[in-house]
Amino acid sequence: MSTTTRHEHTLAIDWTRCDGHGLCAQLLAERVALDEHGFPVLRDAPVDDDLLPHARRAVAFCPSLALRLE
Amino acid sequence: MTTRALAPEEQHPHAALPVLAWGTARLLAGTSGGRLDLARHREVHGAPHPYDAHRLGGALDAVRLLGRGGAAFPVATKLRGTPVGGRTHVLVNGSEGEPASHKDRILMQLAPHLVLDGALSVARALHTKRVTVAVQDVEAHASLALAVRERTDARRVRVVHQDHGYVGGEVRAVTRAVSGGSALPPGRRVLPTVHGIDGQPTFASNVETFAHIGLLLSLGVDQFASVGAADEPGTTLLTMIGDLPHAALRRGAVVEVPTGLPLSALVGPEPGPVLVGGYHGTWSDGPGELVVSRPALRAARVPLNAGVLARLPRDTCALGEVTRVAEWLADQSAGQCGPCFFGLPTLAGTLHRLAAGAPVLEDARVRARLLPGRGACSHPDGATTFVLSALDVLGEEIAAHRAHGHCGRSLLGVLPVRGAGAAA
Repeated sequence: MSTTTRHEHTLAIDWTRCDGHGLCAQLLAERVALDEHGFPVLRDAPVDDDLLPHARRAVAFCPSLALRLE
Repeated sequence: MTTRALAPEEQHPHAALPVLAWGTARLLAGTSGGRLDLARHREVHGAPHPYDAHRLGGALDAVRLLGRGGAAFPVATKLRGTPVGGRTHVLVNGSEGEPASHKDRILMQLAPHLVLDGALSVARALHTKRVTVAVQDVEAHASLALAVRERTDARRVRVVHQDHGYVGGEVRAVTRAVSGGSALPPGRRVLPTVHGIDGQPTFASNVETFAHIGLLLSLGVDQFASVGAADEPGTTLLTMIGDLPHAALRRGAVVEVPTGLPLSALVGPEPGPVLVGGYHGTWSDGPGELVVSRPALRAARVPLNAGVLARLPRDTCALGEVTRVAEWLADQSAGQCGPCFFGLPTLAGTLHRLAAGAPVLEDARVRARLLPGRGACSHPDGATTFVLSALDVLGEEIAAHRAHGHCGRSLLGVLPVRGAGAAA
């Protein structure tokens, strides 16, 4: 049980920007899959602390600046 | 800004639906002889009482008014979330981009002053003079533009003609288009009450919502709430299409009814595919025990949305009707978001193969379930609801197509789609 409130991170996509490059699914396969057209499908789960560095890397590498952490 | 004049060639003739009120005519009061000009409007409705924002919010709370564009958001909450002041805008969304829906254009054609009473009363309560009405239908536009000229208190109201289709009629897309941008929903969540027209706070709602506000301010809370269900007092407009039990409705109709009626009284009690809430709506097998009020229908997971009800006749191919609308929905994608732009045509194609007898029912379900939440607007979500609920209700029909490659019925095109040809 923690006494401090921890911010829970979730992934979000600006779908008007996403072009389906698919890097996010390679860099963060634990949370991102691709549909039959190559567009990301986000797992409905928060990004845990151990995944956070990978998530940040996926956000940074998104060529369309569509992926973000909230 | 001035109103854009429409050239005669842009005015398309369309077979107007019959317009009826069952029980107490409220929005449609006095309209049996046609459009109410300002003098007739004042005879029928009087003038709205001037309320400040606090009092208006209280009255809206008392009658539990919900937005009539589709989202059914509490109007009082929206009003309280809108800052008071001269920079705030009021936006009347009259886009009505859904081809099955006619209630908003009928209301603007017949009772434009009721809509303006509501919009000007909200503007007054918010201490602003910035009022914009965005309209798609040509006749409704002409009626409102005339109404603005008929009155002395509407000189600053701008009536804008817009034709940006289904997704372009979404309120955030309309807000962008009115601000001079493209008629596309923005990629990040923005609330019009915070960042609306020209980046300013905007109280935006549907035409029928504003007409109810006008009514509320002329009738008062008690009179307004003297008809209808306790959870949503007053009346509602519906567009009804398909195989309806009342002779007067055979061609479809726009109907004003008190809320709280059993759905079976409107569409008949028999089983069979009934669509509630239009092309982002939900199919149900017969009306069951459903009651027509937004809170009750939402609780039953069959939201009323913009008020379109349809019952398919027995002699049309139901799966064909659903597929045709799914194709239209795919065409309506604004093309901004990949999952919608690619996913909806793929889903429509799967339905096509299903109708031809291919064993792709589960494929269709899987593809539909992938769509919700993956777009800038709720278009893919609405399309999914429409298709998945149809697949649930049309079990027998789908089995017949699987066995024979068809159901033996022709496709009558009961569910209208704009831009498509006549019924096959």
